[in-house]
Amino acid sequence: MPMTDNSAGKTGAAPEGVRARDRLALLTADNAAVPLPAGVQAITAILLAVLLIALPWLGLGYRFLSIAITTLYTAIGLYGLGLQFGQAGIMSVGHAALMGVGAYASAILSVQLGFGFWTSLPFAMALSAIVGGVIGLPTLRVGGQHYIIITFCFCALFVVVLTNGGTFTGSATGLDVGSVTPLPGINFDKLSNNYYLVLAALFLALSATYLIGNSRYGRTLRAIRENEQLARSVGINVDLHKLGVLMVSGLFAGLAGVLQLYYLRHISPTLFGAFPSLYLALMVMLGGARYLYGPLIGAVIVNFLPEVLNLDPVDSRIAYGVCLLLVILLLPGGVGAGIKNVYCAVRGGLEKQGGGTNGRA
Amino acid sequence: MAALEVRGLRKQFGGVVALNGIDLDIGTDQVVGIVGPNGSGKTTLFNVVTGVHPATGGTVSWQGQDITNIGAHRIARKRLVRTFQQAMSFPGLTVYENVRIAWEQGRMRGSRWASPGMILDFVGLAPLGRAIAGSLPFGSLRRLGLAVALGVSPELLLLDEPGAGLNDSEAQAFAAVIAQLPPQGIGVCLIDHDMDMMSDLCDRLIVLDFGTKIAEGLPAEVLADSKVREVYLGPNRKAAAS
Ligand SMILES: Nc1ncnc2c1ncn2[C@@H]1O[C@H](COP(=O)(O)OP(=O)(O)O)[C@@H](O)[C@H]1O
Ligand SMILES: [Mg+2]
Repeated sequence: MPMTDNSAGKTGAAPEGVRARDRLALLTADNAAVPLPAGVQAITAILLAVLLIALPWLGLGYRFLSIAITTLYTAIGLYGLGLQFGQAGIMSVGHAALMGVGAYASAILSVQLGFGFWTSLPFAMALSAIVGGVIGLPTLRVGGQHYIIITFCFCALFVVVLTNGGTFTGSATGLDVGSVTPLPGINFDKLSNNYYLVLAALFLALSATYLIGNSRYGRTLRAIRENEQLARSVGINVDLHKLGVLMVSGLFAGLAGVLQLYYLRHISPTLFGAFPSLYLALMVMLGGARYLYGPLIGAVIVNFLPEVLNLDPVDSRIAYGVCLLLVILLLPGGVGAGIKNVYCAVRGGLEKQGGGTNGRA
Repeated sequence: MAALEVRGLRKQFGGVVALNGIDLDIGTDQVVGIVGPNGSGKTTLFNVVTGVHPATGGTVSWQGQDITNIGAHRIARKRLVRTFQQAMSFPGLTVYENVRIAWEQGRMRGSRWASPGMILDFVGLAPLGRAIAGSLPFGSLRRLGLAVALGVSPELLLLDEPGAGLNDSEAQAFAAVIAQLPPQGIGVCLIDHDMDMMSDLCDRLIVLDFGTKIAEGLPAEVLADSKVREVYLGPNRKAAAS
C-alpha cells in the first residue's frame, strides 16, 4: 500500500528558496515532539549553566542581580505551570495564588512557630501541592475551560481571605520574615548568595522537568493532553494523573513562593492576585510551555523587558499585551518553539545538502 | 466458558434504546464479526463493554470477573482493548511515541512485545516512526490505531470498523494483518460492513438490529438467514451494506 511521508511538512521546511509561507511555517510549525540529539541538549545545558553561574561575577550591578533573582524564582513556578499546561494541557490563570499558598504558609510558620526557611519549606511545598490538587478536583467533572475560571476565582478568593485574615495573615499589609537560616560558611543576606540559592532551586526544577518530560510519566501526561479518550482506552487513569500533575505543579509553586518570600522578606496579598497570575500565564505562553527552556525564556523576557526598554509600569503592561498578541498570532508555540523550528529547519537543510538519500528516517 | 460473557446488556440514551438485552460469548482464539445496519447499536456495544459508557442494565464479565461499569482504563488494563470508529491517535506526538505510550501501559503487566518497534514492524508502520501522527494519511492513521491498541498487549481486541475509509487494497492489507492475530493468542471482535471480507475473515458472525441480536452462527449460515436478508435487503429498510 502506498504510504507517503507527510511528516516533512510538519518538521520545519527546508530553507532553500524560503518564501513567505515557508517563513511563516518556520514560526507556526509544531516541532515539540521532534527529539533533539543528546549532544545538542548537553551543549545547551552546559552553556546555560555556565552563564547562570557566572552571572554575579559579570559586574552587572545590584539592580540587575535583583531582577535576575525575581526571574529565576518566577521561572521555578513557571516550570510547574509548564508541566501542567505544556505536558498535560491544563492551563491555570491563578498560579500566583498557588505560589502565595507556599509563601504565606512559610511566613505564618515563621511568625507563629518560629520555623526557619529550611524547616518550613517542606510544609509549604506540601500545602501548595494539596491546595493545587483540591482546586483541580472540579476538573474531573467539568472541562478545561471551567478549570481556568475556577483557578481565577481561587485567586480572587485567596486575596480576599488574606486581606481579611487579621494578624494571622497580616491583612493588607502582609507579613515579614527574617533572612534564610545560614548554612555553614554561607550567609544568604549577601545578594549573590541568595541568587545561588534560587539558582540551585531552578536547576532542581529544570532537572525535574527534563526527567519527567523524558519519562513514562511525561508520556502519560502528553497522552492525556492529546486525547483523553484514547488515553483511557490504553489503560491510563486520566483522573488520577490530572490531579497528580496539579499536585506536582503545586510543589514547584510552593518552592517558588518560599524563595520569593525569603528574597523579598515581606509579602502582601497583592503579590499573589489576578495580575501576577495573568503574568505567569503570559510568561509560560510567551516562552513556550512544551519546551524545556520555554518557561525560563518567558520569565526572562517579561522580567527584563521593562528594564531593557526603560518602560514604566503602565507602558510595560501595554507591551506585555502586545507581546501576547504577537505570540498567539505568529508563534503559537512560544519563543521556545521558534528557536526549535529554526534549529529543525537548519538541520533539515544541512541533511538535504549532505547526502539527501538518508532523509530523516 | 468464553473469555468475554455479556448477559442481558441494555443501554438507553434518554428515550433511545441502543442495546436491548444483548447476550454474547466471545473467546480469544477466533475472529468474531458483528454486523448490522447503521444505528443498530454495534458501536454502543463496544462502548458499554469497554466502559466508555455505563450500562443501563445487564452484566459484562471478562475472564470470570464482573467488569460492568468499572471504568475504561481498568478494563484496558485487563487486556480487553478496543479501537474507535473515528480513527484516533495522539495527534501531536510521533508515531513511535504513540505506540510507546500504549506499550508502556501494557508492559506494566508484562508485554507480548519486546519493544514498540516490533509493533510498528508488525502493522507496517516502521518507516513512519518519526512522523507526527496528526500528519499521517488516513490509511496509516488506521494502522496506527491498531498499533496503539496492540501496544496494550490485548487478549481480545474489539475493532470498530477498522476498514472504513480505506481503499480496496488498503482494506485487504488490513484484513491480512487482522487474520494474523488469533494464531498469536489475540482474539478479535470486528465490526465492518464489507460482507465479503467479513465472511472470509470471521469464524462467526453476529447480527444486530435495533439493539437486539437477531442472528448468530457461521458466516454462510447467517448470511443465508431470512431475517438477516430482510434487515439488509428488505423493502422497508435502506440497504446499509453493499
Ligand atoms: N453518545 C450517544 N448519545 C446519544 N445517543 C447515542 C449515543 N451513541 C449512540 N447513540 C444512539 O444509539 C443508537 C446506536 O448507535 P451506534 O451504536 O453508534 O450504532 P452503529 O455503530 O451500529 O452504527 C443510535 O440510535 C444512536 O443515535
Ligand atoms: Mg458504529
